[in-house]
Amino acid sequence: MTSSGTLDFTPNLRLADAVSRPREESDLQQSRALDRFLAGVERRAFRIAQMALRNPDDALDVVQGAMLSLARSYGQRPSEEWQPLFYRILYNGIRDAQRRRTVRSRIFALWPGSSRDDDEEAGDPYEHVADGSPEPSERLMAAEAMQKLETALGQLPARQQQAFTLRCLEGLDVAATAVAMGCSEGSVKTHYFRALQTLRSQLGEVW
Amino acid sequence: MANEFESGTFERRAREVFDASVDGLDAATRSRLNQARQAATAELERSRRSPWLTWAPAGALAAAALVAVLLWRVPGSDAVPAQQAQATADPADAAEILAAGDDLDLATEDLEFYEFVAVATDEPDKGVG
Repeated sequence: MTSSGTLDFTPNLRLADAVSRPREESDLQQSRALDRFLAGVERRAFRIAQMALRNPDDALDVVQGAMLSLARSYGQRPSEEWQPLFYRILYNGIRDAQRRRTVRSRIFALWPGSSRDDDEEAGDPYEHVADGSPEPSERLMAAEAMQKLETALGQLPARQQQAFTLRCLEGLDVAATAVAMGCSEGSVKTHYFRALQTLRSQLGEVW
Repeated sequence: MANEFESGTFERRAREVFDASVDGLDAATRSRLNQARQAATAELERSRRSPWLTWAPAGALAAAALVAVLLWRVPGSDAVPAQQAQATADPADAAEILAAGDDLDLATEDLEFYEFVAVATDEPDKGVG
């Protein structure tokens, strides 16, 4: 109560402000951390999805969905947990997209005159090489090497693909890869070892 | 052995090739990924400010289901004309009554009474009293 007889809420407001300000700063930091994390993984995640789905639009949809799911469901979690969680969501999205595609192709296979769609589904293996613009010879060689890796990787079982991609290309350790794949560390090591053996035998000479 | 296995030439080469393909992404794809990231960051803000929004679709669905059940179950809410009700309620209801296995002897015992009630309902002037 002030001398003029009116209630003074200023101290309470100051107290509430003092309490909420650190929280706002913490939220802002969390948002920035999420932005940094996503900026670091978005292109790589896109390439992983593109290798698995062989379609840039589908890959973009899957990456976008994974980003939103991570923000919505795990955005408040410590940022150290994001990487394996993100890749787990990403691979779930890839698997769902592959299932949808399988169902769609079965339905269209029953449709008369749909063989053209199937041909398009198989796709030109050089269709999604990074750029159509003229490139230096080194980049061209790298693109060709990537194409070979992508083709060889596509012939591996799905779990071996995941283990190789996460361990070798993304550099996750065994524990994080196990979280991302939803399996034991022993399984990760087995899948990775087999993938590496197969890829080496196929690409070792040309690389 | 493990270190040698992990840091082999093949893996290094694979990483280099993959990194080069990531760097070679076109501007349009980068732009779309940027937009997707901004949408995800905005989603984090939104879910933080109003966490109930996360459950809003499920809540709306539950509310719609509740309304549907209430409309279906509340007496008098199905304002179907009497004649239409008679016409539509026949076979299924009869089958349900038979399947329920209720004692139907009562109906056969008082058949004359039910006939009387039916006549009295159709012709009120000739009714009781």
